[in-house]
Amino acid sequence: MFKKQDQTEILNEFETVIGPSIKVKGDFNGQGNIIVEGKVEGNLKTNGNLEVGKTAIITANIEAKQAKIGGQISGNVKIKGFLEITATAKIFGDIETSGLSIERGAIFNGKCVMTAVAEEVKKIDKNI
Amino acid sequence: MNIFIYDSFLNQKKYGRLLARLETRITDLGLNGKIFRLNLAKNARETINNELKRGAKTVIAVGNNKTVNQVINSLAGSQVPLGIIPIGQDNNGITKSLGIESTETACDILSARLIIKLDLGLANQTYFLSNVSINNQGTVIDMNKNYTIETKEKGLVYVFNLLDKQIKPPAGIKFIPDDGLLELVISTYCHKNFFAKQDHQSIFKIKKITIHNLKNQLTLDGSIALAAPAKIMIVKKQLNIIVGKKRNF
Repeated sequence: MFKKQDQTEILNEFETVIGPSIKVKGDFNGQGNIIVEGKVEGNLKTNGNLEVGKTAIITANIEAKQAKIGGQISGNVKIKGFLEITATAKIFGDIETSGLSIERGAIFNGKCVMTAVAEEVKKIDKNI
Repeated sequence: MNIFIYDSFLNQKKYGRLLARLETRITDLGLNGKIFRLNLAKNARETINNELKRGAKTVIAVGNNKTVNQVINSLAGSQVPLGIIPIGQDNNGITKSLGIESTETACDILSARLIIKLDLGLANQTYFLSNVSINNQGTVIDMNKNYTIETKEKGLVYVFNLLDKQIKPPAGIKFIPDDGLLELVISTYCHKNFFAKQDHQSIFKIKKITIHNLKNQLTLDGSIALAAPAKIMIVKKQLNIIVGKKRNF
């Protein structure tokens, strides 16, 4: 019951939906929240949130405010806020985020940098 | 003065009784004005332009989506509001979206005179209020120079200003006809097996696109044909329109 409510809340805010039968080629720059269930080749950038469905195949570098990833991504992922990687996700590339959760079953091949921690390390280095 | 534009199909005898009833109701509500019946010799543009110069208070389109499209193409940019009285059940999606459910309720809505300012879509030189549609087979959508969209499955490409009942967008995604944006909807279907059909929708908020298609024509507001390629863009706050409380936005 609670899960259903959460899903509707997320959907309420989305502006762009890239369906399973669609292939977007090039640099896609969005302003609002995006749902991807199809193919994207190039770059994907938004000021809003990103939800990558389990049918999605993305060959692109990604930038977003927050993201929930359940599909396949070949490219680097840069998220300002929290990144949630679900069990169906396959990520081949580096991740840069300030918060992260990876569900059991997800595949992730790459480096991971936690930006908030990196900033703290810089501050400590300066103090020394 | 109120100007009533009757579409040419209303010259058929079968609409006589309905129109007589409508005119009685209009008189009862004190909304009566000049009636113009369109025909092959008399087009809407000329009639409306003349009446706007004479100080028309409201222009009322009596007919279907095609009538509304003809009238908005003469009225766009004017401060004079548009009222609509739908006749018949076919090709009347625009009025339903605006909360005008029937001929009878349309008279009450005209009397209540709830006016809002809406955006209009412009395809080449022709305005549309609701949507543009085209078969996606052979259609190339040029969003801007940054990216392209491809689809292999069969379906339709729509550009919506005002949501029609033709499609049901995913829950919570709203189409607002005064937000300065159009919604590009690519609706495709594939047969999973003989019985099961799967529908997919993709939605993009846009301001300007070009649609190319060598074989198929675009359809504006479900009634006006337009040859491709077509440059489609939004024109903000271009039309004052009388709406009902049950409108879908």
